[in-house]
Amino acid sequence: MIKIDNFTFSYHDTRKPAIEDINLEIQDGEFILLTGPSGGGKSSLCRSINGLIPHFYGGEVTGRVEVQGLDTLKHSTRELATRVGMIFQDPENQLVTTEVEREIAFGLENLAFPRNIMARRVVESLDALGISDLRHRQVHELSGGEKQKVAIASVLALHPEVLILDEPTSELDPKSTEEVLSITERLNDELGITVILIEHRLDRVLQHADRLIVLNDGQIIADGKTRDVLSSSYEKIAGAGIGVPPIIRLTREMASTGISVNGAPLTVKEGRIMLSEAFRKPFRKLPAHDHKANGRPVIQVDRLWHTYPEGPTALKGINLRVNEGEFLAIMGRNASGKTTLVKHFNGLLKPTKGTVTIENIDTRKTTTAELARKVGFVFQNPNDHLFADTVEEEISFSLRNLRTDDEVIRSRVDELLEEFGLEKYRGQYPRSLSSGEKQRVALASVVAARPEILVLDEPTRGMEYRLKSYLMDFLKEYVRQGNTVILITHDVETAAEHADRVILLSEGEIIADGNKRDVLSGALLFSPQINRLVQAFRKQGIPGDILTVDELMRILS
Amino acid sequence: MISLRYKNKGTAVHRLNPFHKLLWVITIFVLALILDHPIYILLLFLATLPAVAAARVWREWTSVIKLAFYLCLAIIVINIVVSYHGSTVLWQAGFRLPVIGRPVITLEAIVFGAGMSLRLLAIISAFAVFTFTVHPDDIMLAIIKLKLPYKSVLVTSLSTRFVPALIEDAQRISDVQRSRGLELDRGGLIQRIRSRTAIMIPLLSNSLDRTVQVAEAMESRAFGSGQKRSFYKEITVSRLDALALAVSFLPVVLGIFMRCRGYGIYQYYPALEGLSIGGLEGAMLALMVLLVVIIVPIALLKRRIDLD
Repeated sequence: MIKIDNFTFSYHDTRKPAIEDINLEIQDGEFILLTGPSGGGKSSLCRSINGLIPHFYGGEVTGRVEVQGLDTLKHSTRELATRVGMIFQDPENQLVTTEVEREIAFGLENLAFPRNIMARRVVESLDALGISDLRHRQVHELSGGEKQKVAIASVLALHPEVLILDEPTSELDPKSTEEVLSITERLNDELGITVILIEHRLDRVLQHADRLIVLNDGQIIADGKTRDVLSSSYEKIAGAGIGVPPIIRLTREMASTGISVNGAPLTVKEGRIMLSEAFRKPFRKLPAHDHKANGRPVIQVDRLWHTYPEGPTALKGINLRVNEGEFLAIMGRNASGKTTLVKHFNGLLKPTKGTVTIENIDTRKTTTAELARKVGFVFQNPNDHLFADTVEEEISFSLRNLRTDDEVIRSRVDELLEEFGLEKYRGQYPRSLSSGEKQRVALASVVAARPEILVLDEPTRGMEYRLKSYLMDFLKEYVRQGNTVILITHDVETAAEHADRVILLSEGEIIADGNKRDVLSGALLFSPQINRLVQAFRKQGIPGDILTVDELMRILS
Repeated sequence: MISLRYKNKGTAVHRLNPFHKLLWVITIFVLALILDHPIYILLLFLATLPAVAAARVWREWTSVIKLAFYLCLAIIVINIVVSYHGSTVLWQAGFRLPVIGRPVITLEAIVFGAGMSLRLLAIISAFAVFTFTVHPDDIMLAIIKLKLPYKSVLVTSLSTRFVPALIEDAQRISDVQRSRGLELDRGGLIQRIRSRTAIMIPLLSNSLDRTVQVAEAMESRAFGSGQKRSFYKEITVSRLDALALAVSFLPVVLGIFMRCRGYGIYQYYPALEGLSIGGLEGAMLALMVLLVVIIVPIALLKRRIDLD
């Protein structure tokens, strides 16, 4: 059992506590889903449970945390390690040796376990995660998902009673995400290990959690059985900027417009049962008003092949034409060639065979710096962007590279600071800002050059809901001004909600290309939740290409 | 690109006790330094090849030797330019330089450079076999067994562990900054250094963040202050190993003995000596080479015993 009494903690350099007056009791074997906006205190709470706070971080502590009868203030992280196992966000940064089996033994070695027990625990942990085949592999050869599984196995080897996972899937692709989450569920189900899972995206894990705890501004704003919390504290949760799965939003909106709903479904399966009554009525027609971009082609890709030196062939004869004013989403599994394709749009990669033409310029005949005037690129991690001393300098960086006049730079920077709400950070060091602010600075620094084409490579991975909607609103506006946006994403809901056109890549080839309605409806893997729900009711007259809550509500009322 | 890192290919050489391989490398290193005679050195170089073949690291070995070859060329050229000893003049400059007079190229200078290069190649070849067949963690274990403090060993091993991640980071950040219009190769030196800061700062800051995260993860897995720890793997030295170790040390003893008897010495200057080797000397040399090569049959034998 974990008992937290009146616990408050603040980091050394801050006056405001990271978590404040927390009272919490967690029973053995519970599966807890912990969520909340970034900076809400989720990570701090978890680090208080395994003793990293205060033993590793220092800072100021009042109140008390007790784990299986041990007071974390009086017992070191080392002693707590056999009780609480902790998995972190970035799989790369929690593995310390070079070989998988030694990695798993690392914790046991630290606790001076005899060799025969270590040998047994290593084998057991590998088996428990189903990764026995990785035993003798080198850590640097593993994929992100495999690394995360090794990290879990290495924590499991210590036989912890509690497993804490701090956004374990935010760096992973959907397939590995799925695997890591189902492993977590299995460890809870079959071994009875208490699980505390921090996640931003709730749709996949909600139905499995016994209990949902929401932290905002360092305080618990909701705590209880998942289903109860979602119905009793829905407004509070949505108000704190937490992304609620579409099906839950749908039932809320149906209820508020007076359509009676028989329960609160968490999954598509439950939705089919609980909403069957409500859908037994005539529907309105959805007006066909899909945005069509018929502008001139800005990107033209002809029979593009790309092979990496001594590596795989990543693209196999891609033909693609992107028009001015289009919002294009590129989807596909890992290693399907998405990133390789978009890196051709600004010349970071050159075609092995075939041509790529940007605004009538052949990319083979120009440089990335030259293309930067037309094509802006936003990468996933703002920490890779930011290097300047002040936010102002950071934003003017690409303008200076493009040799823009000082006068123009000054006025442009002022505009951007205002547009992105960054005026008060003008003179601050960009890397010391919060993650949401950093993201905004990175975005502002890219759009500063006013590129007609904006490419974003999985910008929403691991991003909290509020920031995600901010970004999407910005992109929609950017498209409306006549620019073209190309978004690589794994997030079907985002593509369904915001893109006009979707292309699916698989093993270096385009396997689907068209209006989002055609590509995303009725697919097994790449359909949004609402679309999967309506498939069941097509016989009753609901159009099968409905993708979002808003669309469904429009035809219902 | 061929990976120049350890890869477990499961050959007899890979399975061999790391101490044995370490001693083997040291043996070749010492012999290459105490003996001068080009034939000795050539044989020593050739004696490393059976191990390369047995470990199946030809491709990796070739790419290392290719790099070493450029180094050798440099050595030879520099030696030709700076060394004017030697009596067999092949070419003499038509101008005079202060102090040294008229530059000359002598046969002795070329051969001396070649001899030194051969020495370097023998040493590099042995080290290549070692790096490609000994697991980095085993090197660490070996060092711990030699009673060095665990923490300093761990730090070294950690830094090698993160090299691939660092390279990946650098590549990604350079893509990011190039996309923002950064031209790495524009302008003079100062400009170029300045443009590199756009890559270096994110790289360094990300690495610092990484350090904190790794420390946190280690702490969470009970890595802590001064407590006793155990080792999952230990390098055991069996009786057969001990015997093999003794055998691998013999060439050094033999080499020193020969050197004391005046064998294996060679004068390049002022004129090249003859390369002839006497009967007894030849026999001892053959024995020495045999003792260096014997690591391969020992490895094969040891694997047979292990597998039985």
